[in-house]
Amino acid sequence: MPDGMSVAEARPGARARSLGALPRDGLLLVLLAIVPSMLGGFWIYGIGVCMANAVAVLSVSFLLRYGGEVSIGQSFFLALGAYCVAMMEREVGVSVVVSLPVAAVVGVVLGLAFAWPSRALSGIYLAVATMALALAVPELILLLGPVAGGYEGLYVSRAPLVGVSVDLQRYYLPLVALAAVVLLLAHFRRSRQGLALLTARDHPRAAEAFGFSRGYARLAAFAISAGIAAIGGALLAFAASTVSPNSYTLWTAIYLLVGSVVSLGSLGLFGALVGGAFITLVPQVLASWGDWVPILYGLALLVVVVLGDRPAEALTKLRKRLAGGRGG
Amino acid sequence: MAEAATLAAERISLAFGGHRVLSDVSLDFRAGQVTGLIGPNGAGKTSLFNCLTGLYRPQEGTIALGDMRLEGLAPARRAREGLARSFQHVALCPDLSVIENVMFGRARLGRSGWASAFLPLPRGRAEAADARATAERILARLGLAAFADDMPASLPPGTQRMVEIARAIVADPRVLLLDEPAAGLNAAETRHLTEALRALAGPDLVMVVVEHDMDLIMEVCDRIHVLNFGRLIASGTPAEIRADPEVVRVYLGDPDD
Repeated sequence: MPDGMSVAEARPGARARSLGALPRDGLLLVLLAIVPSMLGGFWIYGIGVCMANAVAVLSVSFLLRYGGEVSIGQSFFLALGAYCVAMMEREVGVSVVVSLPVAAVVGVVLGLAFAWPSRALSGIYLAVATMALALAVPELILLLGPVAGGYEGLYVSRAPLVGVSVDLQRYYLPLVALAAVVLLLAHFRRSRQGLALLTARDHPRAAEAFGFSRGYARLAAFAISAGIAAIGGALLAFAASTVSPNSYTLWTAIYLLVGSVVSLGSLGLFGALVGGAFITLVPQVLASWGDWVPILYGLALLVVVVLGDRPAEALTKLRKRLAGGRGG
Repeated sequence: MAEAATLAAERISLAFGGHRVLSDVSLDFRAGQVTGLIGPNGAGKTSLFNCLTGLYRPQEGTIALGDMRLEGLAPARRAREGLARSFQHVALCPDLSVIENVMFGRARLGRSGWASAFLPLPRGRAEAADARATAERILARLGLAAFADDMPASLPPGTQRMVEIARAIVADPRVLLLDEPAAGLNAAETRHLTEALRALAGPDLVMVVVEHDMDLIMEVCDRIHVLNFGRLIASGTPAEIRADPEVVRVYLGDPDD
């Protein structure tokens, strides 16, 4: 009898979530900041790549959270950012601190260029359209010819700071960038554009009635997501020190999607790191599994479909159902 | 406050395929009045409402707010002209707290750009603080101040509906369109809504209410338009509508029933 429920009964436990994750994230940052003084080179390299991947996972989670859409084409924007860094180093001789902002802008522009013609698509249709992007990546890179290094790829060696160990820079730049992206996204959540995108995702007509068209919402969500992916790609190129066409295949895009689901679509530091760690480590572990890998990823994609665009909520609901509760 | 203007629909005709849902309907909604739009199911009142909000484009006729022609404008453009609405099925964002949902009602008025969306720049901060203060004031005015930080799903339907109305009025609209605001509410909630709607009426506001609850309509409205089979069959004050024999026959029913 929901109609008879009094206002007082409905209130407990209903408070909006506050910024309770901040102390934990702070601790996590401190921990990550002192890692290089405790662990060896292999770990520094691995965690650096993992943090770059975390930014890439955030780009998928952002689109899921603010656009309500699944993209299987993020590897395109990842490759864009990575090749921006590698090619600008080779052609212009600048380091990642110069090429990363360029990568972000190019990512946003190409994100808009893709979102505009596909703005009427949604759900599985948009996902398939984005998949076309992912499939095109390796061929596009080879089409660029020697300037992109062909099959071999390019080496990213120039570090922003002189006199500081390059290995440490390959670790700390992704760390700083990841923390910055998380902070920027936390601020975005409270902005008027953030409120508009979240409303448009659940109630496009309500968003329209208050001045934000569906086209605006789609373009904005996609462009920002593409920009984040390009930043992730730029970081990945620097952290891993190489770029090559076979790092940006359809599988990369699927890894990213699965990573986002494993992180429960989180836009926080911890969730992003879980997703980043997942997509950094699992391919290594699975390398010995052979034929089972595609099957596992098929299953993982099924999980994506079942959990929908609110993985955390869907999981809570599932847990309640398994516990036999009827939701009170 | 924006200047007062009349919302006028002239000779509206709307058909879906061969099915005609509105035929040559002309009516107006005046500032300073609460106007009810009633009629039996299928009379075309929701269709007319959707023409006013921009969801449907009528094949014939014009819609104007003062001198501004609206019929060619998309819903998002109409919002800029000062139209605001509530939804029959509550359309609040479940991820936003009550006050954030209300603040969204003012989002289109913001002038801060994308840099302010990501960075705590002075202009964006001032705007956000202003939007929050206005939203708090509106929530207090509707008796919702205590729910500001709650999530919509935790509130009873009547309160959710009031939050939607708060979101609709937070940007000082010239036209407030309410789509069955009492649907799904219990008697106490409807009572509260009736009082709130009366209190919202102002000299510059055009207020349109589509509703089935006759008690609410008769109490809240200054004027009522009655539709039947896609045609306007009566317009007048609540007393005139109650006394109109055709309205009684097709809609209100025989008092002896």
